[in-house]
Amino acid sequence: MSQTSEPSADAAVTEAPAPVSQSETKQSPAGKKQNKKKVEEVVEEEEEEYVVEKVLDRRVVKGRVEYLLKWKGFTDVDNTWEPEENLDCPDLIAEFLQSQKTAESGGKRRAESDGDGKETKKRKDEPEKLRGFARGLDPERIIGATDSSGELMFLMKWKNSDEADLVPAKEANVKCPQVVISFYEERLTWHSYPTEEEEKKDDKN
Amino acid sequence: VNNNKNSNDNITYRSFKNKGKEPTKMRDRRIAECVELRKAHKVESIMKRRNISSVGDEEPLSPEDNTDNKQVISETIQEIVANVNGECPEKQRQGCQAARKLLSRERNPPLKEIIEAGLLTRFVEFLGRNDDPTLQFEAAWSLTNVASGTSWHTQQVVEHGAVPAFIALLASPMLNISEQAVWALGNIAGDGPSYRDGLIDCGVIPALLARLTPDAPVGYLRNLTWTLSNLCRNKNPFPRFSAVQQMLPSIIQLLHHSDKSILSDACWAISYLTDGPNERIDVVIKTGILPRLVELLGFEELTVVTPALRSIGNIVSGSDLQTQAAIDAGVLSALPQLMRHPKSSVQKEAAWAVSNIAAGPCQQIQQLITCGLLAPLVDLLRNGDFKTQREAVWAVTNYTSGGTVDQVVHLVKCGALEAILNLLQAKDTKTVLVILDAINNIFLAAEKLGEVDKLCLLVEEVGGLDRIEFLQNHENNAVYRAAQALIEKYFSEDGDDQCLTTEATDSNFVFGPSDLQKRFVF
Repeated sequence: MSQTSEPSADAAVTEAPAPVSQSETKQSPAGKKQNKKKVEEVVEEEEEEYVVEKVLDRRVVKGRVEYLLKWKGFTDVDNTWEPEENLDCPDLIAEFLQSQKTAESGGKRRAESDGDGKETKKRKDEPEKLRGFARGLDPERIIGATDSSGELMFLMKWKNSDEADLVPAKEANVKCPQVVISFYEERLTWHSYPTEEEEKKDDKN
Repeated sequence: VNNNKNSNDNITYRSFKNKGKEPTKMRDRRIAECVELRKAHKVESIMKRRNISSVGDEEPLSPEDNTDNKQVISETIQEIVANVNGECPEKQRQGCQAARKLLSRERNPPLKEIIEAGLLTRFVEFLGRNDDPTLQFEAAWSLTNVASGTSWHTQQVVEHGAVPAFIALLASPMLNISEQAVWALGNIAGDGPSYRDGLIDCGVIPALLARLTPDAPVGYLRNLTWTLSNLCRNKNPFPRFSAVQQMLPSIIQLLHHSDKSILSDACWAISYLTDGPNERIDVVIKTGILPRLVELLGFEELTVVTPALRSIGNIVSGSDLQTQAAIDAGVLSALPQLMRHPKSSVQKEAAWAVSNIAAGPCQQIQQLITCGLLAPLVDLLRNGDFKTQREAVWAVTNYTSGGTVDQVVHLVKCGALEAILNLLQAKDTKTVLVILDAINNIFLAAEKLGEVDKLCLLVEEVGGLDRIEFLQNHENNAVYRAAQALIEKYFSEDGDDQCLTTEATDSNFVFGPSDLQKRFVF
């Protein structure tokens, strides 16, 4: 069932707010202006009572509830908004209210595709080979250290290999303590005990 | 080496550096040194990240760091080209491996340079070299990484004819080669609906499903599941129904696996398949997967819960029947704890699902009440982050729109009205409109009970009237008109348009300010 809604600025709050995202069902184009003049003319001429075929929409204007009506024997071009109190078709109104809850633009709202979480492509960057001591090489020397992974790791240069990789310090301390000691010794710096002045300067670095 | 501090060896003691120093001073010195070491380390690691060698004459750390230099890359690639174009198999393997290493390094893999060197043709050729599995593997890996780049990169891979070659490799007896093919095809499928459908047309699905055996290792299955999910992914257009029907039984199977990565990707696949019109949702529901999805909602791992919840949310955004199927599967018992989940994105998606259930018939709204979803909903209105509050507001509006008078009364008693009145100060215009809609709906219910006056008092008491009045000055047309309409209809002295039908219920004065609580039901 399609609904026409009137999203124009003139409308007050409609009971069926527009959906948040695009859905498969196309929205009807912006509401048609009611052709009041034409209906009034017809009424004046013929003075018949018109039969409501279907209730299409609901809105509140200036505190009054109005319904968009499809008239029997007329096309959609002649749909009009009528105040609730003028109507005598409670069944049709009830039917509309009920169906409105399940129509996509009436109640349900589809997902916003706000970045679907999962990566679309993946690069393979793990080395296939074994790493660290598992490679079975002899440590030559440590050329760096990092704890960005949460654990202290040494960057190890191996004998007979161009490829250095990270090993846990805990492992290196046991397997090649002399290499570890050399690393630390190379990087020791001596300071004279800083005076208060120097301390302040240091902190500014 | 005797490093015992307490040695009695005079020579050692005399030359011992800590001789004669006080313990506190030594400690301070150690601390200062520590700081010094840390600073040096910090500087060093910064320099490393910026790829500046902190000690000039160090040997290159690894081939990776060695080739950050464009010149070096270019030379390396030239070498690769020479090797790869030659006839010597060993050199071909070397060249391929060197390319693979360049393409799998951490920073700035030279995808474009590799492509521009014309290497893709050879790589695709190598995919067919069943006589040389190492070569196949390195080529497959290299092409995988090229295909992992932008759409343009992927296009290059596809246009060099990689697709049929990779599909053929799926059947390779070498598991690592087959797995690499799965991965590459996943990257190609993930590029978009066009290549996805191209792969499907080439028969990728039966070839993939043939490798889904009980004895397949977990790592392999993970890649397989991810690739399948990419084949389910994307709209405009959706994957065709026949393809979905082919894949679904296997996806369902994978949803019963124990590995969390597999579960996560399988759930994502379901979330893609349910993100569409109701016919798409139907296909998924018919597999009978709903109970398992609900079960997955209760998992600890966020990587599983997120796509499972998304799938459920998609399903309850469908028809009433589809929503009922989800309810029957137990979704309402899982939602409350998701609404209290530590992660706000989960709370938000849970609230969204509730809002769609509340957009259903009053029987389903009744189930929301029975299963205790109102209290957590009001909690979210009060305490959720803004995106979550927005979804919760929709839930209230949908509920008040489709609920019976009694159901609306119940919601107000749970504190929802006060909570949404507090949200009227939100900056988001749409949300304000939705709230005003809800307030209107609640007043309609009050009208039917003849309790508009009491409701007005309640609204006023909690400061809601002030907020609504203030909104009459809002810059947005729809907002100020809606606010005006409310004021005029219910809060104006004239009280003309009030059709106060006196369908009195048994409970007198259901709405009422809190100080009248003793006498009245509300």
